[in-house]
Amino acid sequence: MYTIEEVLKNDIHGLCYQNRLILPFAAHFLKIIVNKDIITDFSLNSKGVFIREIEDFTDLYFLEYKDLNDSISKYEAIKMVIVEKGKDIFDFDNHIKLSLYLEKKHKVKIEECDHDIIFLE
Amino acid sequence: MYSKKFIPLVIVVILVFTSVDAIAAYDNVNATTDIMTTMASEEGADEHALPPVYMVTPFILLLLMIATGPLFYHHFWEHNYPKVAIALGSLTVIYYLAVLSDSHSILHSLAEYLSFIALLGSLFVASGGILLRVNRKATPFVNVVFLLFGSVIANVIGTTGASMLLIRPYIKMNQNRIKPYHIIFFIFMVSNIGGALTPIGDPPLFLGFLRGVPFFWVVVNVWYIWIPTLLVLLAMFYVFDSFNKGNNNNDEEEYTGKIEFKGAKNLIYLGIIIVSVFLDPAVLSWVPSLAPLPFGIREIIMFSVIIISFKRADQEILKANEFDFEPIKEVAYLFIGIFMTMIPALQLIAHEANVHADKLTAGIFYWATGGLSGFLDNAPTYLNFLSAAMGKLGLDINDKAQVLEFVYRDDVYLRAISVAAVFFGAMTYIGNGPNFMVKSICERAGIPMPSFFTYMIKYSIPILIPLFIVVWAIFFR
Repeated sequence: MYTIEEVLKNDIHGLCYQNRLILPFAAHFLKIIVNKDIITDFSLNSKGVFIREIEDFTDLYFLEYKDLNDSISKYEAIKMVIVEKGKDIFDFDNHIKLSLYLEKKHKVKIEECDHDIIFLE
Repeated sequence: MYSKKFIPLVIVVILVFTSVDAIAAYDNVNATTDIMTTMASEEGADEHALPPVYMVTPFILLLLMIATGPLFYHHFWEHNYPKVAIALGSLTVIYYLAVLSDSHSILHSLAEYLSFIALLGSLFVASGGILLRVNRKATPFVNVVFLLFGSVIANVIGTTGASMLLIRPYIKMNQNRIKPYHIIFFIFMVSNIGGALTPIGDPPLFLGFLRGVPFFWVVVNVWYIWIPTLLVLLAMFYVFDSFNKGNNNNDEEEYTGKIEFKGAKNLIYLGIIIVSVFLDPAVLSWVPSLAPLPFGIREIIMFSVIIISFKRADQEILKANEFDFEPIKEVAYLFIGIFMTMIPALQLIAHEANVHADKLTAGIFYWATGGLSGFLDNAPTYLNFLSAAMGKLGLDINDKAQVLEFVYRDDVYLRAISVAAVFFGAMTYIGNGPNFMVKSICERAGIPMPSFFTYMIKYSIPILIPLFIVVWAIFFR
């Protein structure tokens, strides 16, 4: 498992298989935007995203989507506000905004949200 | 990837066109004159029987589903709205072709739809390749200036162009304090009321221009209604915004005050779109008509702009704008359903308006045009009521000279219809094309937008209706 800082610094990518997103870090998820869906409910009963943390990666299943590639364009990002596992979730300085771009061969490019991207926490 | 999204829609349009064309040929119906310029729905009513009232059901059902789908059956609606819109639209099309043998009305509506979507689509794609950065701290005053600027520019690049160009910098400026009312007032002013001064501003005024209303008639006759309405809305917004203290997480952020503009070449595309708006045989006689095709040179240019401006767009700008065809796809599918299912509603309204024309006052025209423009597309609503108003004086909407005579004889009716068609478009998300697009862009930015009903109950009815009553009382009573 990498830290988020390592992922961003070393351009480590994630993976996407249909509605499953595999991220190479562990985090507390605060908000995810995919398409027009603003997801903040990450409880087990949530119909939006099911999150499963495994030893080396984190799985996110977008339950309302069959295939994320059908819904998200090349220029569009899945956006999320997260906090590195182990850091103080109540400190806004620890909140990281990420943009995830779906690329070819199941790759997911992970970037810190560009200044131009409009993403309201 | 992008073209896939529109394939079913293109197939439907081709099917509708080929089937109505075949039936038109069989019936020897003369649908070969220039559709956009010579047809009025009341013509269809004269040639063909009026539809029964129950044929309005698909339209009401579609409106109800647009209103309730995202609220109560979100998952189903997100995945099936194209099928629902096309299925309900098909019911109307089949009825008109099979029972009424009226291909004329379908072709007319299809032509208007293609014109509508060509304009919206081209403005959407061309403005999506422009990046405007406003590095300024949003204050109530700055926001008021921004909204005023948007309202003015809507008359030059249309309400769609202005909305697409300005919504992102507006959200960005306000990102630490944004609330739904920011977006709602943006929709009120930039996406609707702002564009009431020129035929480019809003589609109904453009249709009036095609019929013979002089280009500058609108600005000369509407400015004194436009200015106070806009000022009242800006003042209300200022009060709302003054109470908004935002969050204090980013207080340390420094602002340069700079305004950056990228993607200047797309201004050329916007210019081409605006110029092509006038490329209509009704405006310029040298422009060839492509009848019986349900589109003209103008639409071909606009669709070409969509392809060229997208292919040549700066990838970084598209990425910064998070460009996606989904918002225009949503409008394209929902509105083909709306355009088809509303045919019976418009014909019945036009019939009733003509029957009772002598009893109709400017105030009634104002409320009827406005009330329907909030839920139907405002362009055909405008035309139907214009036709009824001219009918009062025994004039024909299809004769440009008579339209001109109408304008100069008693222009209070035209003023009432023009103001209402544009202003009331702000009443619902479906009142005007850009309303839906703005909503979609905001949701993608993480702003939870009010539902269809909340928009009306919390914002448009309490804010706009009292204002529209005052406009009526002063100018049209």
